[in-house]
Amino acid sequence: MILRRLLPLACIALSTGFASPARAAIHPDFEVFPSEVSLFTKAARQGVVVRVTEPNGIHRNVTAEATLTLADPAKAKVDKGVITPLADGETKLKIAWKGRTAEIPVKVAQASADRPVSFRLDVMPIFMKGECNRCHGAARGQDGFRLSLWGFDPEGDHYRVTRELSGRRINLALPEESMLVTKANGDAPHTGGKIFEKNSEYVRTMVRWLEAGAPNDPADLPTLSKVELLPKQLLLESPEQKFPMVVRAHYSDGTTRDVTNLALFLTSNESSAKVSKEGVITTGQRGEAFVMARFGTITVGSQVIVIPKGLKFEWPQQVEANYIDKLVNDKLRNLRITPSELCNDETFLRRAFIDITGTLPSSDEVQKFIAQNEPDKRARKIDELLQRGEFVDMWALKWSELLQIRTGQNVAQGSYKATLAYYNWLHERLKENVPINEIARELIGASGSNIEHPAVNYYQLEQDPLKLAEDTAQAFFGIRIQCSQCHNHPFDRWTMEDYRGFVAFFSQVGRKVGEDPREKIIFNSGGGESKHPVGDRVIPPKFLGGDAPEAKGKDRRALLADWIASPENPYFSKHIANLIWGQYMGRGIVEPVDDVRISNPASNPELLEALGQKLVEYNYDLRRMVRDVCNSRTYQLTTRPNDSNALDERNFAKATVRRMRAEVLLDCISQVTETNDKYRGLPAGARAVQVADGRTTSYFLTTFGRTDREVICAREEVGPTLSQALHLLNGTTVEGKIGQGGVIKKLIDAKKTPKELVSELFLRSFGRFPTESELNRLENHWGVTEQQPQVFHDVFWALLNAKEFMFNH
Amino acid sequence: MSNIQPVTWQDDPAHFRKPSRREFLYSGLVGGLGLTLGDFFKLRAAEQALSEPLVARAEALIHIYLPGGCAHQETWDPKPFAPIEYRGPLSAIDTAIPGVKFSQYMQNTAKIADRITVVRSMTHGEAAHERGTHNMFTGYRPSPALRFPSMGSVVSHELGSRNNLPPYVCIPNMPNEFAGSGYLSTAHGPFSLGSDPAAAGFAVRDLNMGAGITSERFDRRRDILSTVDEHFRTLEKSDSLTAMDSFYQAAYALVSSKEAREAFNLTAEPDAVRNAYGRNEAGQRMLMARRLVQSGVRFVSLTYGGWDHHAGVAKAMEKQLPSFDQAYAALVKDLDDRGMLDKTLVMVSSEFGRTPKINKDAGRDHWPRVFSVAFAGGGFKRGLVYGSSDPTGGEPDQNPLTVENMAATVFNQLGIQPEKKLMAPGNRPIDIVRNGQVVTDLLA
Repeated sequence: MILRRLLPLACIALSTGFASPARAAIHPDFEVFPSEVSLFTKAARQGVVVRVTEPNGIHRNVTAEATLTLADPAKAKVDKGVITPLADGETKLKIAWKGRTAEIPVKVAQASADRPVSFRLDVMPIFMKGECNRCHGAARGQDGFRLSLWGFDPEGDHYRVTRELSGRRINLALPEESMLVTKANGDAPHTGGKIFEKNSEYVRTMVRWLEAGAPNDPADLPTLSKVELLPKQLLLESPEQKFPMVVRAHYSDGTTRDVTNLALFLTSNESSAKVSKEGVITTGQRGEAFVMARFGTITVGSQVIVIPKGLKFEWPQQVEANYIDKLVNDKLRNLRITPSELCNDETFLRRAFIDITGTLPSSDEVQKFIAQNEPDKRARKIDELLQRGEFVDMWALKWSELLQIRTGQNVAQGSYKATLAYYNWLHERLKENVPINEIARELIGASGSNIEHPAVNYYQLEQDPLKLAEDTAQAFFGIRIQCSQCHNHPFDRWTMEDYRGFVAFFSQVGRKVGEDPREKIIFNSGGGESKHPVGDRVIPPKFLGGDAPEAKGKDRRALLADWIASPENPYFSKHIANLIWGQYMGRGIVEPVDDVRISNPASNPELLEALGQKLVEYNYDLRRMVRDVCNSRTYQLTTRPNDSNALDERNFAKATVRRMRAEVLLDCISQVTETNDKYRGLPAGARAVQVADGRTTSYFLTTFGRTDREVICAREEVGPTLSQALHLLNGTTVEGKIGQGGVIKKLIDAKKTPKELVSELFLRSFGRFPTESELNRLENHWGVTEQQPQVFHDVFWALLNAKEFMFNH
Repeated sequence: MSNIQPVTWQDDPAHFRKPSRREFLYSGLVGGLGLTLGDFFKLRAAEQALSEPLVARAEALIHIYLPGGCAHQETWDPKPFAPIEYRGPLSAIDTAIPGVKFSQYMQNTAKIADRITVVRSMTHGEAAHERGTHNMFTGYRPSPALRFPSMGSVVSHELGSRNNLPPYVCIPNMPNEFAGSGYLSTAHGPFSLGSDPAAAGFAVRDLNMGAGITSERFDRRRDILSTVDEHFRTLEKSDSLTAMDSFYQAAYALVSSKEAREAFNLTAEPDAVRNAYGRNEAGQRMLMARRLVQSGVRFVSLTYGGWDHHAGVAKAMEKQLPSFDQAYAALVKDLDDRGMLDKTLVMVSSEFGRTPKINKDAGRDHWPRVFSVAFAGGGFKRGLVYGSSDPTGGEPDQNPLTVENMAATVFNQLGIQPEKKLMAPGNRPIDIVRNGQVVTDLLA
């Protein structure tokens, strides 16, 4: 039902620089793709696809059954869904099917003109389609012939095809005998085998180009500006339902071109949606797939949901706490998945405490909370937790990891003094609730002494402009541009130009030593350029996926800082929103949160878009954003699955069981045992989450996965190991802390009955009362009075070794 | 030439991004929403049909990994007759096999050459450390879509625990991310010693019950723990919970068995033995490996040194190679003397070899086209040099050995069928080795 009104799909659209998807609608459930046709030159053609949406939301391709006619048959003609030009002018394509009608404009220009074959626009796409540069794109080529990987170097490719080895790859006298052709069509032995049929249009295009003298392109050749893959979203039935896709290229001169036959198609999930070389989807088993088309340097994708044919499904009515629930549920309804139930109060309280503060609720807090009857008690608890200092500690920890705050190998790289100042600065900012974009602005634009203006340590810990550019893109946008250092990014939009343009912002960082050898001063040196490795051209600073600002005589980092912090920035707000979401939900909408790319799409683009917009609307207020997330019903679901969502892991239909991160686990053990830890530079009693320096660690923290912050990584990910089990069972942490804290003794001294005492231990550790059956079974152990203190000690030990303690659920 | 396939980013997760098990799980599970029990049983039936038990020639494997890409020219495959810029600065010595020469720093290994198999024609196309390492640890070319389990994790999955010991142990630590459990449950990840057997006062942490905890009390604790764990166990299901459970079971087994714990006690070895292996990292790590396989560990993975010699290869070899040589020869002899060599496969490998020509810094750069690996025991031939590289050590000359064939042969010797399929998440059966042939010429 929801798909009837075509969703804006703003996420994908934005990340590929698209406006809203093309469609034409008189009946909203009857659409034609593309929504307008523009034919330029004689050889132009445009395929159209007619889609109908059934009442249950399922999409069908009815192109073959629909009647397609042109209002003015003199201008263009249509055959089997393909429109070709006849004469210049404008007309309309009329589409009719079972009483539904639609029409789309058709424009024809230069209908009698031949367009010359272009190396970049016609021949290079064939290399891509044939995946020639998959093998020949290797750094040393393949079997003696090299092409640039994914076509990052057209000039070089033209040279290697036409001139290298005295031009042996082409034969202008007998174009069809050219090695370029015979290797591809199977006439000559080719390690990669036969790629194209002899009379295919790919071979014909190459031959036509050779017949024309294998020309290089003029300098004013239009460039590819965007690519569309249509439709943007599909809900299909399994198995064996087919749906054709249309790919359209837009060029800098305003012309468009149907490149469905030249695009390379890929799918993220072969078992749910296969896609043929021609771009026809065939459904497999139930699931989700992201179908992608690559043309030139651009990859675009469409979301495909496949549900079983004839599936009975009823959406349960439920309260939606805010916009988050609505958007999550919209997707779940399409998937025919029912969300889990709301979790109980004990579970909510423990989860919120761990997520928001990195601590556990005390036994008093648990009891008070359960006893309350106010309907808004959860919301009030969230507000209360957001005001606590521990909330700031958690985010300071998170950002310290993203910013890789650590001491250097030596004083020259980064002293402890500077590290501490850096951490304290960050902590202070978060505590004052400084908007996140302002913190980013301060970091990126920072100049001065690293002791007095600690934000400049951003430029001290990493000094290589390439790494700085890469780390900045990853930390602030979640985008990994590393690939495009050496070649155009294979599955994202980033080209080597983009990469070097972004690096240029970091090419003028000046550094000098202050009076104190630990003091470093960062300033704008005003000199230094970023160069393209092909041809050594100077590339001026250019925002990622944005404009090239006028940078002459300006501090480039200040320009970048303003751009990052601007509400118009297309990446920052969504990335931060996703980071926040991932922190509380256990997985990002884009996952991993620091791998935003076209081929790793958001599981729920509308939700990501909405969260990003809210963050801007809230003036990048971290606390307000967290409040929205935690107040959603989606956050407060139980981890217990139902039949429909048991296998789904990415659509937030249930809560996920997560082990507490190393620092939080240790802090929680200390909290419930009432013991202290001592870390370098911090007073006794400080918590592990407060440790400023990535290099400070302990056996416990290392074994449970504390990162050393040497590389940028949004999430520590160490699974359970035997070493962890052994340490909890036999190591000094659990056993030692139970002894040191003396909690059992205090409780016995307070004259608690055994049941009260054990209940207290349960409340502390699990955030709930023991069940009757648990008490009964434990009673067998404490029955012998003289052993009691030891049995209680052992119960405490067992609770801390239990998975219910270690995991946030 | 071997069927070397093109090397591009698509073959390489490290170059691109590293899909975690978690990510894979989700995409797999979503893809697998249609998984029916029928499918599952079909696969199981197919597995059964395959699992006619192979006769295991080797009961355990010791993998000695020389990280960084060890130069074949300066170790197993010297080129004494090549021009000086190819030959390099080291000389070659005779071995126990007439006509076969090793590097000058392999005096001890030369004497036991008649007990081992040296492969001089190992080949693959991955010239970056992560890619080559992935190949040698998993037997697979890297893929961005799937994280493959290490050979050690596959062995853990297939052969399981013996004598209460973890089946797969890393000395001193998990050497790289590809040594993990890949798409298999993390329960098949390695147990890392956590400290270096060569370090003074070496002990594996937390193997013994805490001070003052009797075994009666430990049992009571276990009992209480199972009581307080039960509520949660009945409610929650997830891979990390199951894996944590299996590690607790493994820990109990280890803690309750004195024999098992004793396997980690290097001080139980007589001084003479410890000295024979060499009182250094190579020696003590290999000795520890022998103790572990002797006690029942199935797969021990150890690393020694750093072999990425872009500069000054001669000096670096002089520093590291003699310790390796002493320890390796001692290990092979020791296993042989104890009658264990035929049932224990010892494999020495590295991610790739190094360039034929000495570079401007008197070193050699990465070279995966041809390099050397060595096998001893476990049913491999004694005194064999398999395959050869061309006169400058640049390309395989005879009998190239691919990663897949190497892996197939190794699994075969351990009694694991290389073509058996393991279930990756998302109802996706994956061969243990894809398209690998057992190389019978290597085997006795």
